[in-house]
Amino acid sequence: MDQLARAAALLGAGICMGIGALGPGVGEGFVAGKACEGISRAPEHASLITRTMLVGQAVSESTGIYSLVIALLLIFST
Amino acid sequence: MEFTVEIIRVAAYMGAALSVGIASITCGTGVGYIAGIASRGMMHQPESRDSLFRTMFIGQAVTETGGIFSLVISLLLLFGGFDVVEGGWLRAAALLAAGLAMGLGSLGPVIGTSYAGGEACDSICRMPKYNLTITGNMLIGQALAQTSSIFALLVSLLLLYSTPLQASIPNITAGGILIRSFAYLGAGLAIGIGTIGPGIGIGNVAGKASRMMGRFPRQRTYIMRTMFLGAAVSQSTAIYALIISFLLIFAVK
Repeated sequence: MDQLARAAALLGAGICMGIGALGPGVGEGFVAGKACEGISRAPEHASLITRTMLVGQAVSESTGIYSLVIALLLIFST
Repeated sequence: MEFTVEIIRVAAYMGAALSVGIASITCGTGVGYIAGIASRGMMHQPESRDSLFRTMFIGQAVTETGGIFSLVISLLLLFGGFDVVEGGWLRAAALLAAGLAMGLGSLGPVIGTSYAGGEACDSICRMPKYNLTITGNMLIGQALAQTSSIFALLVSLLLLYSTPLQASIPNITAGGILIRSFAYLGAGLAIGIGTIGPGIGIGNVAGKASRMMGRFPRQRTYIMRTMFLGAAVSQSTAIYALIISFLLIFAVK
């Protein structure tokens, strides 16, 4: 029974990281695309736009990191 | 249940079908999308049809890469000679996982590259003079987006060629077989689903960059720098998925 639970945890780790990477990937790409648009319209604000883009991407990344943590926990602590 | 070599064949055939079947959903749509935008562009700008045709063709070729990777994995699964009875349940799980990884893994990058190709054709139609700059930018962006499908190819090949035969592991129990098989399936699903998001995201960046390159060609250094930076950050989640896949393939005992 223990081994069945461990097998399920490992499959769960894979699914968790897979689906967890969907949202951040699309979201960060969206941020960067809009930043490209903005920076070409207003190149004088390049540093401001780049900074905002990086901060927004970092926040958007957080859910990806949550799923990484959960996946690592499922692999190593079950 | 008595293990026979047919079980490995069933897994290999299912993996082959899933790999090329899932991948061709977005390959067909994506290549058609680029051709549609290029045709509309030719209607507006018949005099720049040569450069539009060239960009369309290059964009379609890069978009098709994901489908070609899936075809290669499919053919390997069918004719690679993996159906040996010593492989056992582990080999069956690894083959199914390899097909799933490559099939799902090419969905996102292909959507992304086709968006970039379409935007580049649209942009050339607006600014035919800058077609070389736009095509160059499109190619770089598409290459960035296809990186995640290369991750999926890597994991597929690892599942095919560096997973052990069941008979070569001494004293393996039924539980051990179950754990390892599920770990292989998990690895395939992690990299397969995990590359969809980054692929679409990076393609979005590349498409927006190509569009803006046509409108404001003087800002191309800024645009390209932002595109690289944004794509690199967006790629990070695909790299997390790659790490989890490696751990599931190699670190699970």
